[in-house]
Parts: sequence; structure tokens; C-alpha cells
Amino acid sequence: MKIILKLIILILPASFILMFFLLLTEDDSIIGADYRQFALPQFNLEELDGSSFITSSDLGDTYIINVWASWCITCRVEHPYLMSLNKKGIPVIGLNYKDEENDALEWLSKFGNPYKKIIHDYKGTLALDLGVTGAPETFLVNNGKIIAHYQGEINESIWSQVFIPVIKEKELF
Amino acid sequence: MIIEISHFLSILSTGLFFLVGSFSLSTSNTPYTSNLISRTYSHAFLFLLSSFLIYIWLAITDNFSVQYIANHSNSALPIFYKISSIWSAHEGSMFLWIFFLALWGFIFNINIKNTEVLKPKTIGVISLIIVGFLLFLLITSNPFITILPIAPLNGADINPVLQDPALAIHPPTLYLGYVGFVIPFACSLAFLINGDPSAKWEQLVNKWSVSAWVFLTVGITLGSWWAYYELGWGGYWFWDPVENVALMPWLAATAFLHSLSVSIKSSQLRTWTILLSITVFSLSLFGAFIVRSGIIDSVHSFANDPQRGLYLLAFIAVIIAASLSLFILRFSLIKPSGNIKTFSKQSFISINNIFFGTLIFSVMLGVVYPLIYEYLYDQKISVGAPFYNAIFIPIVILASLFLFFSVDSKWSRSINFKIFTKPIVLSLIFSVIITFAIHFVFKTNNVAILLSIFVGLLVIIRYLIEVSISLIFKKYLNPFSAIAHFALGLLLVSISFNSLLSTERALNIKINEFEEYKDLTIYFKDIRVRKGSNFDAVKAEFNIKDKNGNSFDLSPEKRRYFTRGQITTETAIHVSPLKDIYLTIGDQLEDGSWIVNVQINFLIRWIWFSACLMAFAGIVLVSTNRKSNI
Repeated sequence: MKIILKLIILILPASFILMFFLLLTEDDSIIGADYRQFALPQFNLEELDGSSFITSSDLGDTYIINVWASWCITCRVEHPYLMSLNKKGIPVIGLNYKDEENDALEWLSKFGNPYKKIIHDYKGTLALDLGVTGAPETFLVNNGKIIAHYQGEINESIWSQVFIPVIKEKELF
Repeated sequence: MIIEISHFLSILSTGLFFLVGSFSLSTSNTPYTSNLISRTYSHAFLFLLSSFLIYIWLAITDNFSVQYIANHSNSALPIFYKISSIWSAHEGSMFLWIFFLALWGFIFNINIKNTEVLKPKTIGVISLIIVGFLLFLLITSNPFITILPIAPLNGADINPVLQDPALAIHPPTLYLGYVGFVIPFACSLAFLINGDPSAKWEQLVNKWSVSAWVFLTVGITLGSWWAYYELGWGGYWFWDPVENVALMPWLAATAFLHSLSVSIKSSQLRTWTILLSITVFSLSLFGAFIVRSGIIDSVHSFANDPQRGLYLLAFIAVIIAASLSLFILRFSLIKPSGNIKTFSKQSFISINNIFFGTLIFSVMLGVVYPLIYEYLYDQKISVGAPFYNAIFIPIVILASLFLFFSVDSKWSRSINFKIFTKPIVLSLIFSVIITFAIHFVFKTNNVAILLSIFVGLLVIIRYLIEVSISLIFKKYLNPFSAIAHFALGLLLVSISFNSLLSTERALNIKINEFEEYKDLTIYFKDIRVRKGSNFDAVKAEFNIKDKNGNSFDLSPEKRRYFTRGQITTETAIHVSPLKDIYLTIGDQLEDGSWIVNVQINFLIRWIWFSACLMAFAGIVLVSTNRKSNI
């Protein structure tokens, strides 16, 4: 058999294996994660139950803002994880996005309420200022500044890969 | 406590398999060593078998001190699903995979006489592969880890999409197919190691290879059917990366069986046959790697763990490097005897090898290209149906044409090839007429579909004529070849009709309203919340009437499972011989209407039937005693 043919037979699988080695050892960055820092926009919106108005000063120093809606299926998938965050004592602020008050309240009574406070953003104005593209999205806020942001469902693995490094670095919570 | 016994038994079997492997590859054959190797292998297998049976017993008896069982099973499950929960995630399914690998070796071991020259080395190669995978299991993905001292009272639950009979049997069947090709692989290596060109490894592995091919065919078909009705994908094939990694070994195995038949008959194409046997098994391992390294996101992928991926990759690299180097070193051994004559059966099959090689390479490219692209440019792209259609349609049409003309060819004889024999002309006339009829009746100008139907019909009619001839004149006809190729024709025609006629539409319907789609009137009767044992469901009720006055109810569901919060769609399908009416519900819109997806799928059952028919052909071959060829 010609040398070239022998080489091809060896090199073809070898190159595939090398490629998979590179792919496996690659440091994969997570799509949807965003670490740009910017100030939390000013807002003055009703709470979901309509009891009072909330501004950013009512929320504490460090917290999570979670954008959700009762029409959002992924939010329902994400919901148990938010419940567990709440249990761990991490303050989660809900940003109810373009949702009917009754639908949202019913949703919470059915599945449980993981939120410390819920901002009712019926027209999506705050969400617009935050640059939200859809629900769910999650922001980490510290001293009036957004320091981490994730588009899509958060779960244990996203939490530990996107948020935990920032939390550890700044020694939050 | 019992779990430790199971753990210990599998460690013990690892050691014994290692002894068998290293001993058989380092000694020369004597009746004494052959006996020893065979017996020790059987003992090692019995240890592994006991370990596996104990594990099943622990799953049945809800032993939640075992971490894996606690995470994937639940005391409320029926026994059937308690057992199938073992292969619902990475560790357990790997255990099953290895068990099947050893099982094939064991059945081979007790069926083949010890006097067979190639047996000891074959068993040796199989043992070493088992050792590699057992070490992988024990080191990186140990299913025997316990939660002690306090075991949970109940388990987490099985992934809901896996709580389905088709899925309980789909993975085992597929695994049996994948690992079954270890027999031809190990035999071809044994042949190369032994270095005796007269040893007939090809005859030895024929039925074993066909059996593995049958399992692979059935496994893929089951997966396709399951994705259709359980995952709510609504079609039979999606070119999903993990479907593709099952398709590649199947294509390679099909080419291998063809090539094997030539090598058995005339010891030609031996290079092809050995290379293909290596390819089939390497592609099976590659499938395991893709699914278990988390390199691709898919319904099938298990948890992402680069360490596992690296181990598997390294092991596969060793296997491929060893087998290919051996192949190149011993290349002089496999001298073909004489040239292949034009228009002989051999010539057609060698062309077939090239067609299949192209298909495999294209699928491989479709699987890896997005990965390379993402690595280099950090952007996601997807290679979808248009790419595969562009490659598969012309090649399959060409290959089927070659098949059609090859029916008349003879082994090793350059027959005076006549294009205008009666059967050929007859099939051509019928196929042309029917294709034109289809062109006018269904008013289609889609050349790809019409051509596929045309060649499909050619193959079907040609084989029908062949079968009638053989029945009338009592002429011998290879049943395997006839049934499998007839099934291929049927598959082509069914797929063509399916893509020609099937339609779907997302409708917005409110309760108590009618909606028309094609010749169907869909009435949305009711929607209600239903509580299952471990899920909440929204169940919609529809009544559907067609033009012929048939009326039936369909109730698609959306479920949300408590333990994992996972949402699944339960499709509702009305089955009739020629078409399926397939309903899934989506979300509710702001105006109160619901999104309902309606599909009319033509001949989709025929696609699976054709695939089963192919598998049946294989069963016919394995169960007949005649030394048949493809």
C-alpha cells in the first residue's frame, strides 16, 4: 500500500481525536452571561399587590433581581431553584414583567412565592431600562450597581458558574 | 452492605478480565491455553453478571443508600421503571453498556469451539476493551457510591420523559447493537495478530455481525418512534447530533455486512472489510463519547464532565491507534485474490462501499463542523436538514439505481450485462407509469421526491418480480437480501410520500370554538387541570371530524412533574393506516385562546414498518442454517 494511503488512514482519525481533545479542554464561557457593570436605573413602581410604591432605596444593599411573568413557561421551570435561593437567605426581588396582577398573584399562590418584594412592571419600563430581552433574566445588584447578569433560566450550574465567582470576589451575602 | 458486594464483584471481574486479556495476547495457542482463556473469561463474566443482578435487585428493593438509585428512582415507581431507572442516567447506563459488552463476549465464548484458531485472541481483545470501560466506570463514574450513614427515605424520581415503555427498551436495544460490533472488531484484530492469511475470520463473524445490526436497526427505530410520540417532536428524523452518532455506526455496519459477504464468497475486498469492522466499532465508541462527554447539548446528553470525556477520548484513541497500526503493519497479509470483474456482484458492492463511505463522512462533518466553528469563531451555527438532504438524496437515489441493476449480477462473473432484460424493462415501465400518475394526481414538480419515489418503486417491483420467479420456478433467492432491499424501497417511497404530503399548522383556538384545517374540523371541547401521581397536567379535549364523516376525540396534555419541575408535552395521535393526525398543545395566549399544533403525517408508520422489515430480514438470516450471503 502506498505510504500516502497509510498516512491518511492514520492522520484522519488522529486529527479528529486531537480536535475533540481541544474542544474538551476548552474553557467554555457561558452564553447569556454578562459582567458589564452599570448603575441600577432609577424607578418608582407599584408593588405587585398594589399596596405601595417601591424605589431602589427600599431594596437593601445586595440582592438578586429576577424578571418573571406568569405567562413564561421557563420561569416555571426556574421557579423551584428560586425557592431554594430564598431558603438559603439570598434576597430575591421579583420584577413582574408585562403581566396581569391577578394572573401573577394566582401563579404565586399556586407555586409558592420566592420573592422578598415584587415590582409590578406592567408596561415594562424598568425592564426596558435594564435592557431585558425576555423572561426570565436575572441580575445581581450591589450598592446600586448591576455586577452580573444572566439571560435565561438559572439553575444550580448557572448559579455556580456565573454568580458565585462574582459573589466570592466581592465577598457578598 | 449488599452494594459493597456488588462493587467488589465488579472490581474482581475487572482484574480477571485483565488477566484473560493480557494472557491471551501474550501466549501462543495451545489447546491448554485456549481452554484456560475460555474458562477464565466465563468466570469473569459470571462475577460481572452477579454484580449487575445484585444492582438490579437493589433498585427493585428501593435501596436508597445507593446514591445513584436514590437520585434516579423512587419507591412509587412500578417495578418495570425501577429497573429501567438504572439506565436513565450516565453511571447506570454505562454499567449496562459494559455488561452487554461482556455478554456478547460470553455468548461468543460458549458458542465457538475452543479449537477455533482465532478464538483466544478474540476473547483477549474483548477482555481488554471491557477492562478499559470497567476502569472508566469505577474511576470516573462509579454507580456504587453510597449515602451513609443516613440514607434518604425516598428517591428523587426518574426523568419523566423516560417513564415510557418504549424508552425503557430503546437504550438497551441500541446498546446491544453498538457493543455487538465488538465481535467482528475483535475477530478482525485477532486475524491480524495471528498473522495467518488462511484464517477465515469473515465466516466466523457473519451471523454475529448481522445480529448486532438487527439490534442497532431496531434500537434506532424505537428511538425515532419515541421522539415522535413522547418528546412531541412530530417527525421521524431530525438530524439531531445524537441521532447522527447512531446513524453513523449503522451506515458503517450496513456497508460492512455487504463487504463481508464479498470477502466470504471470494476473499476479495478484504481490506475494505477489515477497515470497515474497525470503523463500525470506532464509531460506536465515538457515539458513547459524544453522549457522555457533554460536548453536545441534546436530549440524550448526560451531565457535563470533561474528565469523563478526556478518559473516554484517550481510551478510544488507544483502541483506534492500536487497531489501525496493526492493520498497516499486517497489510501484506490481506492480499486480494485477483481483480474484481466488471459487472460482477463484487463490483457493485465495492461501489456501494464508496457510497456508504461518503454518507458516513458527510454525517461526521455535519456533527463536528458546528463544534469546530464554535471553537474557532465562538459563534453557534447549526447544520440541519438542508445539508443532509443535499447529500443523502442524490447518493441514496444513485445507490438504489445501482442496487436495481445489481440484482441480475453474478458472483465473480463478468456477465454480459444486458440492460433490457424482461424484469428490468417491466419494473421500469411500471415505475415510470406510477411516478407519472403521482406527478399528476398530487400535482407536484418536486424532482427530488419524484425521483426518490421512482427508484423506490424500481427496487420494490424488481424484488417482487424476483420473489415471484423464485416461487414459481423454485429458484434459490437469498431471503435476507430480498427482504432487506425490498424494505429499503418501501422506506424510500414512504419517506418521499411523507415529505410530499405531510403538513402542519399552529392554530389559535378558544374553548367551544371550531377551527378548520385541511379537511378537518377541529372542535375545542374543554380544557381542565388534572392531577397525576407525580405531576400536574393541563388536559385539552378536542373533537375532530373529517370529510368522510369520521369523528374522534383527541386529548393532548402538558405535564409539569413535581420533583424536577420539568414540563413535558403529551401528544395525542389518531392513527390510521395511511396517516396520523397529531395534536400537541402549547401556551395560552392573552386573549384566552390556546396554541394548538396540528400535524397530518402521511405514511409515517410505514417508515418504521420498513425499518422493522429490514431488521426482520436480519433475523431471517440469523435463524436459517444455510450459509447465506447478502
